[in-house]
Amino acid sequence: MPAVIEIHNYSWQYLNTDTPALKEINLQVEEGVFLGIIGPNGSGKTSLAYSLNGLIPGQYHGIKHGTVTVLGKEVEQYGRGELQQQVGVVFSDPEAQFTAMTVEDELVFGMENLGMTIPEIRERLEWVTELAQLGPLLTKPPYEISGGQKQRVALAAVLAMTPRIMVLDEPTSMLDPISRKRVFDVLQELKKEQNNTIIVIEHSLENLIPLADRMVLLSGGSLILEEETHAFFQNSDLLLEHGITPPGAVLFFQKLVRDGLYQGLLPLTVKEAAKNIEELFIREQGDKA
Amino acid sequence: MNKTLLGYVPNQSPIYAIHPFVKLYFLLVVSLFPLFIADPVWNILLMAVIVILMWYSRVNMRTLRIYVPIAISMGTIILISYTVLGGTHPEYSLIFQPLGINIYWERIRDAIVVYFRILPMIFTMVFFLSTSRERDMIVAMRSVKVPFVITYVFAMALRAAGMVLEDFQIVRQAEQARGFDTTGKSIGYKIRKYVMYMIPLFALSLRRSEEFTNALIARGYAFTGEASKVKRADYILTHYPFKTYDFILIALISLFFVTLLVLRYGFGFFSVDQSLLINFLRSLLVR
Repeated sequence: MPAVIEIHNYSWQYLNTDTPALKEINLQVEEGVFLGIIGPNGSGKTSLAYSLNGLIPGQYHGIKHGTVTVLGKEVEQYGRGELQQQVGVVFSDPEAQFTAMTVEDELVFGMENLGMTIPEIRERLEWVTELAQLGPLLTKPPYEISGGQKQRVALAAVLAMTPRIMVLDEPTSMLDPISRKRVFDVLQELKKEQNNTIIVIEHSLENLIPLADRMVLLSGGSLILEEETHAFFQNSDLLLEHGITPPGAVLFFQKLVRDGLYQGLLPLTVKEAAKNIEELFIREQGDKA
Repeated sequence: MNKTLLGYVPNQSPIYAIHPFVKLYFLLVVSLFPLFIADPVWNILLMAVIVILMWYSRVNMRTLRIYVPIAISMGTIILISYTVLGGTHPEYSLIFQPLGINIYWERIRDAIVVYFRILPMIFTMVFFLSTSRERDMIVAMRSVKVPFVITYVFAMALRAAGMVLEDFQIVRQAEQARGFDTTGKSIGYKIRKYVMYMIPLFALSLRRSEEFTNALIARGYAFTGEASKVKRADYILTHYPFKTYDFILIALISLFFVTLLVLRYGFGFFSVDQSLLINFLRSLLVR
């Protein structure tokens, strides 16, 4: 798979700050990959997301070193609006992303900006409405829908522009667990149906892990770890050291490893953990027999 | 009934079949009627017509109560301005002199005329706001080719107002949760303490505007139109085609306006001297 994002020795420091928000980042993201980015607050996750969409350095003042290349072209070389056709961003605050007076207006706004024709807009509107299950909400104004619904609208509005790369910056941080799951359901559908490259910055690991192909840990502006998802969580001590609590299944099996009761890959989900425990019991019974 | 930023609109209404532009046209043209009508009787009739239209449109009349204090305070201010603060006019008919203040019949008459000119304008605005959602206003403007940038700035202003109101509620609840309560305190105290709301609200607004800008850029929007360099389709307008009765209504509203002008300037109708109400009040107050 070709790399759609290539970041080389990239550092970014906001104006009037003492330390860089991002330090010497090197990262390659291949096409069609679902990448999860985690890290404690202030680790530079949002700055990295903004760097991929051109909001940095476009909208913020600061000092940049290194290169951020998206689809073979450095972000600064894209004309206004061009990069946004390729990289869609969903932000954390559902309130501030709703820029129109009804859900339908919001969904078509980006498509109108790209100069699509009415039949194209209608076709894509139908697609995203079904994907994000927004049918009954189309005529609703922003103050009549919940935060979770607004976030699905924001996601659908970006999806409607059919970007090749989607960056979601803590899309569920302001949502309740049910709304959170619904947003991830949409992402799951998207992963199944499309070949988009999806980058999700998220604290909610239980939703992220089943979808992520690869994971990145950022801390203090530096890229600490980048691995395939299973391999990534085998480094649970490193994650804990940087303020990230791995899923309960990982912690439980890590304890079993320390107690000498288990050897092998740490499971990431309850389902995997249950399967491993079942195998442990079968093995133990086999040993006794 | 559905809430809008500026009031309430009915769930179902026959007026929703009418194109939003016709409603906006009604607002803009009918609001001008009272400017050419000095006789309060005709303006009261105009208000009656608007009330009938509200009833026909299934507007919940109880929600209109919120406008009563505005009407009363406005009437009081006009009356005081024209009478108590109206100055000395020896050429006018003096009818009372409470506390040495000269109250003239002509000033009372002028206050009544002005008040009954403003009231129908307010009624027309209330009718519009009680039958139109925010989207209707945008559609109305876009359907007559008002540039997209202008309509979008207008929509953003409405959206921003909604966000500020929501943020205000959040800040107020946060203050109340910490025991801040102005119940029973003087107005001066309340105004002074409003700073406690204003500072976080201002900070929130600044943050929101940054996030709003980022969201617009992420949607590929640029006010310069550079984003696409192609003609911008207006998908929403496809839901609102003009129908024959829309044109008939526009023609009728225009016809009424022209007739009003002809009667006013061609035949001298609607003048204050011909007013039955004014003449009746004059006979009561002036000896």
